[in-house]
Amino acid sequence: MILLQSPSRYLLQILSTRLHNLDKGVELDCHWVEFDDVRYHVQASVKNPHLLLLSVSLPTPPPETVFQGGLPLGAIEAVKAAYGVAVQILDPPRDGFNLTVKMNFSKLPPTEEYRQALLIKVASVREVVLGAPLRVFLRHLASRTVAPERDMLVALVHRPKESFFLVPQAEKVTVVFPMRFNDSTDTILATSFLQEFVEARRSAGLNNAPPCSWSPSPPLELKGAPLEALSANCGFVTFVIFSRHVEGKKLDKTVWSLSTFHAYVSYHVKCSEGFMHTRMRRRVESLIQKF
Amino acid sequence: MEAASRPAVVIDNGTGYTKMGFAGNVEPSFIVPTVVAVNESFVNQSRSSAKGSNWLAQHSAGVMADLDFFIGEEAVTRSRSSSTYNLSYPIRQGQVYNWDAMERFWQQCIFNYLRCDPEDHYFLLTESPLTAPESREYTGEIMFETFNVPGLYIAVQPVLALAAGYTTSKCEMTGVVVDIGDGATHVVPVADGYVIGSSIKSIPIAGKDVTLFIQQLMRERGEHIPPEDSLEVARKVKETYCYTSSDIVKEFNKHDKEPSKYIKQWRGIKPKTGAPYSCDIGYERFLGPEVFFNPEIYNSEFTTPLPAVIDNCIQSAPIDTRRALYKNIVLSGGSTMFKDFHRRLQRDVKKIVDTRVFASNARFGGEVKAQPVEVNVVSHPIQRFAVWFGGSVLASTPEFYAACHTKAEYEEYGASICRTNQVFKGMY
Repeated sequence: MILLQSPSRYLLQILSTRLHNLDKGVELDCHWVEFDDVRYHVQASVKNPHLLLLSVSLPTPPPETVFQGGLPLGAIEAVKAAYGVAVQILDPPRDGFNLTVKMNFSKLPPTEEYRQALLIKVASVREVVLGAPLRVFLRHLASRTVAPERDMLVALVHRPKESFFLVPQAEKVTVVFPMRFNDSTDTILATSFLQEFVEARRSAGLNNAPPCSWSPSPPLELKGAPLEALSANCGFVTFVIFSRHVEGKKLDKTVWSLSTFHAYVSYHVKCSEGFMHTRMRRRVESLIQKF
Repeated sequence: MEAASRPAVVIDNGTGYTKMGFAGNVEPSFIVPTVVAVNESFVNQSRSSAKGSNWLAQHSAGVMADLDFFIGEEAVTRSRSSSTYNLSYPIRQGQVYNWDAMERFWQQCIFNYLRCDPEDHYFLLTESPLTAPESREYTGEIMFETFNVPGLYIAVQPVLALAAGYTTSKCEMTGVVVDIGDGATHVVPVADGYVIGSSIKSIPIAGKDVTLFIQQLMRERGEHIPPEDSLEVARKVKETYCYTSSDIVKEFNKHDKEPSKYIKQWRGIKPKTGAPYSCDIGYERFLGPEVFFNPEIYNSEFTTPLPAVIDNCIQSAPIDTRRALYKNIVLSGGSTMFKDFHRRLQRDVKKIVDTRVFASNARFGGEVKAQPVEVNVVSHPIQRFAVWFGGSVLASTPEFYAACHTKAEYEEYGASICRTNQVFKGMY
């Protein structure tokens, strides 16, 4: 696995087992947490087997991001547009969650193919809700209409109390990630990973990928950002997204990759630590054999 | 600490299946086979031509191959469809055997299945009661070094299985846990939450042996099963059709009288040609689980039946705990799921105990009468993942966070903090 998948595997498993055993629905009440502190809670009862309550809580937003009624800008519209009639938003959400939706299995589309597509979409609820504002900006870019907040710095939440920044312009959107890691080893590995990452972008096969750069100090785009957002122990990564990166189906993929960039780096840092351990173990074994 | 506000991750790595999920839930999120499919082609290539001209390309290909692996069901299907992937089973007989594969397995569990950030959660892992301290240290090392977990607790499986009964009735932490997994069978007495280490018995018959025995029976009878599929079919037969009989002779008679009622059909598709086939399932339905009660039908080297092992185990425990132990014999593990397994076990243990009581009464000639011993085999519907459930209960109590080894402790003292477990340091 190189990229993280956007649908939550467990949620998808719950939904499809529920769908296949609709007539003998069981009591269901479970909760779990995903990376970046996104919490889920699923509840279903025996009495109404075709109804399912899904609650999602998002990472605590830092002060510079804009939240409307506990949700990122445009999230409600995004949920409505993505799910249609089968999913209904409950207001107010459950205690301690940002969004609660009621899913009605009897209103699912009739054909198997569409059903599966919708279930996957529901399982990717995180992408729909958290990625909503980013999607709005990127869609403006795709249609080349100028967003109202032209040339302004926009902060979007992606981790608890941390945000990344967008500078939307008519022909491109610049995305800046301040990278932070807690552990000192992780910091070093992540820094070299990011440098390699930028280096890899220069190779011939990736000419069409978004240009990216890494710098240890805040880039010029972040001039107006609050001070605490500018402290990052792993430097800053900047991507420039052009309209060719958000055409048609590429939009969803771009939104997901950007909003989970930190998780992606963190996953690969852990992988490389594991890889190094493997090498060390092999080395120790070969040394022991020599004795 | 912020991580303490999130539910802990509970992973129970068994020989056959791994159960993983978050504390506070009733069921594990995923139950997947403990298997890793690794793409070895790059490793061998780079070794054979280490001085090749384009070593850089090979090196980077090797690094990418390092991410090219799958676990669980995906691993099984991948290895079937292409020959580039080799299956490796990281755990054998309840012990971690291949640490590289285990580390990768955990990595996928955390990032691909549970999709959580290991730095955000406390972890509860399990181990069998006979795990060496070194292996516990290794686990701690991987968890703290690779995954940076804030806190880790390595729990002992039978204690968790006992704790699984915690919510259903009153808290009873004394009992014998009969843990029959896929790769190992242990009978472990626990008194007041402490494992009586010297009385642990383990027998070389486990779920895998039942599968092998069924496979052998079906082969000897000449059922037409493609050889590459036969182990898988035997496993499915074991999981769906097997049950425990009260008397083999009677059961043979029943089968012979009404074959239509007892003999089942198995239908499958040959993996190579795609042609359908079918076979009968007869005596192996009750003979499979019978290996625990009459091991001589399977293995000529080990012939002590499971009830006798349990009795021996309790007899070797301290005398003041024996009555309590007989009263609470708890089953756990997937291979105790056979229908009526607990009834048969209870009857057989009771028989052994009653004979002994009768003999001692006869010896004293009626002067002293022994009180009858209560024998109770407890079974519950979640037996299959009782250990996981116990872990989930334990990890959702506030005391759990205090009992964990924390990252700070690890950095101060090193991996040796994981060497011992409190439950072994009890009274004996």
